[in-house]
Amino acid sequence: MMADYTPEYVGTVTKYVFVESPSMTPGELALRAYEASEGVLIKETCFGLQVTGEPESVDRLIEVIRAFDPAHIFVKDRGFPPGDPRRCRANLGGARPGYLGHEREFRLLRYITHGLEELGRREGEAPEPVPPVREKKPLLDIKRLQELIETEES
Amino acid sequence: MAKVFIYPATSLILSDLVARFGHKPLGAALGIRERIQTAGVDSPPLQITPEEPKRGLKYAAVEVPSGVRGRMAIYGPLIEEAEAAVIVTDADLAFGCMGCARTDELILFSLRQSGIPILELTYPSTEEEGVQFVAAIKKFLDGLEKGGEA
Amino acid sequence: MSRKVRVAQLSCGPEYSGVQKEIYDAAESVDAEIFFPDIALADVERAVDAFGLDVRSADLKLMIARGKALVEGKVDADGVFIGTCFRCAEAAIVRNELRRYIHENSRLPVVSYSFTERTTSGTLLTRMEALTTIARRRALLAREEQTGITMGVDSGSSTTKAVVMKDNEIVGTGWHPTTEVIKSAESAVADALEMAGLTREDIQAIGTTGYGRFLIGKHFGADLIQEELTVNSKGAVYLAGHQQGSATVIDIGGMDNKAISVIDGIPGTFTMGGICAGASGRFLEMTAKRLGVDITELGPLAMKGMGKNVPMNSYCIVFGTQSLVNALAAGSSREDVAAAACHSVAEQVFEQQLQEIDIKEPVIMVGGTSLIEGLVYAMGQLLQTEIVVPPHSQYIGAVGSALLASGFIEGE
Repeated sequence: MMADYTPEYVGTVTKYVFVESPSMTPGELALRAYEASEGVLIKETCFGLQVTGEPESVDRLIEVIRAFDPAHIFVKDRGFPPGDPRRCRANLGGARPGYLGHEREFRLLRYITHGLEELGRREGEAPEPVPPVREKKPLLDIKRLQELIETEES
Repeated sequence: MAKVFIYPATSLILSDLVARFGHKPLGAALGIRERIQTAGVDSPPLQITPEEPKRGLKYAAVEVPSGVRGRMAIYGPLIEEAEAAVIVTDADLAFGCMGCARTDELILFSLRQSGIPILELTYPSTEEEGVQFVAAIKKFLDGLEKGGEA
Repeated sequence: MSRKVRVAQLSCGPEYSGVQKEIYDAAESVDAEIFFPDIALADVERAVDAFGLDVRSADLKLMIARGKALVEGKVDADGVFIGTCFRCAEAAIVRNELRRYIHENSRLPVVSYSFTERTTSGTLLTRMEALTTIARRRALLAREEQTGITMGVDSGSSTTKAVVMKDNEIVGTGWHPTTEVIKSAESAVADALEMAGLTREDIQAIGTTGYGRFLIGKHFGADLIQEELTVNSKGAVYLAGHQQGSATVIDIGGMDNKAISVIDGIPGTFTMGGICAGASGRFLEMTAKRLGVDITELGPLAMKGMGKNVPMNSYCIVFGTQSLVNALAAGSSREDVAAAACHSVAEQVFEQQLQEIDIKEPVIMVGGTSLIEGLVYAMGQLLQTEIVVPPHSQYIGAVGSALLASGFIEGE
């Protein structure tokens, strides 16, 4: 059953705006964003907003929104326009897989927030930290292993 | 402004930090958006048609499962376009576009092969690691501008 | 209009293979709807831990968690479709273990399938139809006795069969090669009626099955038009006199094979397929032709030979034919070649399909190929069990249809 597909919202971009803040709810964020929207479509969600429009307008609005609370607002591209039935929880019967991926990162946002705030404070004074790399366990020295075996046997 | 491939390609944190520090994140959403906004044969939910796994033959052989090739049809062009990459190596619970471990292995290999500057790190699990994580990414991204790789 | 049957999809890869729409289409055409069991991230972590299968791919972990939610009754469904990419080893392990887990711990019917980018809704249709039938028609499928005068017609890819039943007895049978679907069915029906000494007017209800079921169903004004998975399961346990408890039904057909794990006459899990015609009745037909014998003589011929004397691999019908020709050219006896062909087909079905269901005794072989005793023998050797071939086993679909059709007499 081959059917034609006619896209909507061609040429637009959609971005997720997540707010993870003790001082701002998604509702408040939406109210303030509406004031600066200038034709960009804004949709309030449980975690923040989705904004859709011409790429330049969306970039401008995102800049304004980020300034509300830089360390507590996070932004990400979205492939779908808002409310698309193909991704809607009601139609799928459950959350789309991407939502669970977001859940995974939500748990870590407080560390990122802390990082952003702390980095702003330390700017210029503290030496730049190195990236955390998982340490490999050092291999047991062969001589030490031999000693261990001998100790066990005796 | 450099084009920076993010891994996991669905990461909110990486997408945000790369854009926040002035670069363009290349992630799954861009590939999906392109398909969602292109007219053609109806193929919900992602507008990935059976033609895509065939296009994926450019990146993986025919005996590689169709799901890997279909995903590579999205990521292959983004990897080719990328000028740098930030990789989180312990992204074990990234679903959907990142939900196939074999594809993920191939993406990482392709990035490492490409010769572009790469920052590899793990997710923070303490506040201090959060500072290190953000600082490392900022330093890496600032270096891209200074070095003129972009 | 009845409520849509809700089929839970547990899968990895169909969206990226471009075949999710095919799954949706197949479901829609049998008035079912696909949904994805809703769970949270914490459920995934917990479920994967409890299930104990440490897979790398996150979408496979999601499958496990969704499967667990179904078994634990946190999410309601009428049936389960499990689908993963063909040739993915990691996914194949999850697909099989989940299928087994759901089968053993719930009453949900399950169908599993491994797709490629070439999978179409047509391929999935029969499987999806069987899932919805089991969900919708449990009462009908519980019927254990044929009543009144009914007729069943099975329009298969190679042959068309018709059966007339009266008061729980088979009173007429007809058999014709499938050429023109309706014409072949007319001939088979005419023969069955003649043998029964009845006319069309005497028939109180008609059931149809097989590839041509919709066409002939419309032609005969059938009361029941049903895919062959549920019909054959029913027919098999009915003819074998094993309507209660577990059984395994194997039907090696002309175009594809069915392996069905049956409980109380209702399919629990089933597979249907055959990567290539090499593992089907078609290959045995070719073998018989090449050996210059009628297909009915192939079985006895095979029983006189030793299959292991001839190397043969019928994974693909072309390669299978090649080894057949080579063996004859090298001086192998016709008996040995016939036995090798039977063994090869049995082996392919064993490797490709019987691994996807749980074999429970009795193992009942049905369909035209069950009359090839060399094939039945080879299957018994592979499964280390005595295979049951019930009387009239070649009419299985027609018998199942006639039996179930009697549920439609007197507006039942």
